[in-house]
Parts: sequence; structure tokens; C-alpha cells
Amino acid sequence: MDREDKQFSGGRKYRNDEITVYWKPSACVHASYCYRELIEVFDPGRRPWVDMNGSTTAKIIEVVNLCPTEALAWKWNDDEKNGLVGSDQLNHIKFRRPELMNTNDSVPEEHPVSIKVMVDGPIVLKGNFTLVYNGNKKEVQESIISICRCGASDHQPFCDGQHRKIGFND
Amino acid sequence: MEENKEHKSQAIIEVIDFGPLKIMGNFILKDLKRDTKDSQGEVWLCRCGKSGNKPYCDGSHKR
Ligand code: FES
Ligand code: FES
Repeated sequence: MDREDKQFSGGRKYRNDEITVYWKPSACVHASYCYRELIEVFDPGRRPWVDMNGSTTAKIIEVVNLCPTEALAWKWNDDEKNGLVGSDQLNHIKFRRPELMNTNDSVPEEHPVSIKVMVDGPIVLKGNFTLVYNGNKKEVQESIISICRCGASDHQPFCDGQHRKIGFND
Repeated sequence: MEENKEHKSQAIIEVIDFGPLKIMGNFILKDLKRDTKDSQGEVWLCRCGKSGNKPYCDGSHKR
């Protein structure tokens, strides 16, 4: 078992023979794709919560690419292969965490705000928009916010993961 | 890298106290469970968990 659970600044990394998965908890908006799609690898109830032996490399990459934030990112252990990764690999560290890759691409563009209503989870807002709440007005730029949809969050209006505890099923 | 580029706000998203999330402007809305899409204009999304017309608000939050 070549399971690694090592720290890097702001998070942890996990590897198998082929890839390394980076996890940055502060970026997680509880969109829940990871454990919904691949609980064998991503199990929030287990420690360590990521088990790289739980599935195939291809499946792990597929699911990491679904994460809407930079909370999960991945790279090949073989650096030569990282140079060849295309932009369809959304959460490759080259795109998600360039500071870990040491490259300087990806200029943000102007585009419509992306609003995703997650399955049994929050509303995930991404882009440039003005958020008005509790009498505050906040300019949100190139970032991601998730708004509670289940009514149970203790940090309204934001999602804090309670939807999973209460078994929110819409 | 165009670090100083100004990003114009594309939409106004308002959290209505004890009510829905109001969204106005340029956006693309996707509901992953019901597989529906919506864009532009104005929508109200349920935040209370009780709407019978999710993801939209149907006034149930008042009950
Ligand atoms: S939707 Fe996540 S806490 Fe309510
Ligand atoms: S917020 Fe209006 S029905 Fe839920």
C-alpha cells in the first residue's frame, strides 16, 4: 500500500503509483460531487478521507475533474506527462493550482455567471457578480460561493455541509 | 497575466431575508438533478427547502 497523506501549504496530498491528488479544505464548497460519485475513494466519514486505492486512476481523475472549486486538483507523478495535459482536464493542477505547477497560463475571461443547483445540495455561484445579503453589498470576482438551499445551514446564507447531515433530498 | 483587468459584475444576486435567492442579469443556470437550464433575465431560487417547484421559489417559505 503506497498511501500517502502528506501536508503541503494549505492542504494535503494523496498519491497512488500514477497520480497525486491535492486537497485544499478551505476551498471546498460542499458541492458533494466527489463522494457522490466515488465514495470508495472520497469518504468524508473516514480518516484519511481520501483512499487512493479505492478505485482506478482514470476514475479518480474523472471525479476530481468534477469538483467545481480548487478544493481538489490532480497531477501525474511523471512530470513529462503533465506538460501534455489538455484544457479538457479541468482540475489538473496546471489550471487549478498553477502555483503548485510553476506555470503562468489561464487568463480569466468575462462570461455569464455560472449558477449550478447541485443534486440535494447548495446553489453554487461562480464568476463576477454582486452579492447582496444582510444589507451588505459585496463584489465577487472570479470566485465561487455556495448558497444553502436546504434551509439548515448554521451559516446562512452560505452552505456549511448540513444538507448532508439532514439528508436533504429535493 | 492581466492581473489588473477589471471584472465587470455580470449579475446582481440578492439573498432575500427568510425568502429566496433573487438573480438578475447575465447568467447560466443549471439544475443538475432535474437537468434543466435557464439563462438571462430574472429568477428566484428556493433557499428554504420547502418549495414544490424546485429549484424555484413558490412562496412556500411563508408557510
Ligand atoms: S445546502 Fe448545504 S447546508 Fe444547506
Ligand atoms: S424560498 Fe420561497 S419557497 Fe423556499
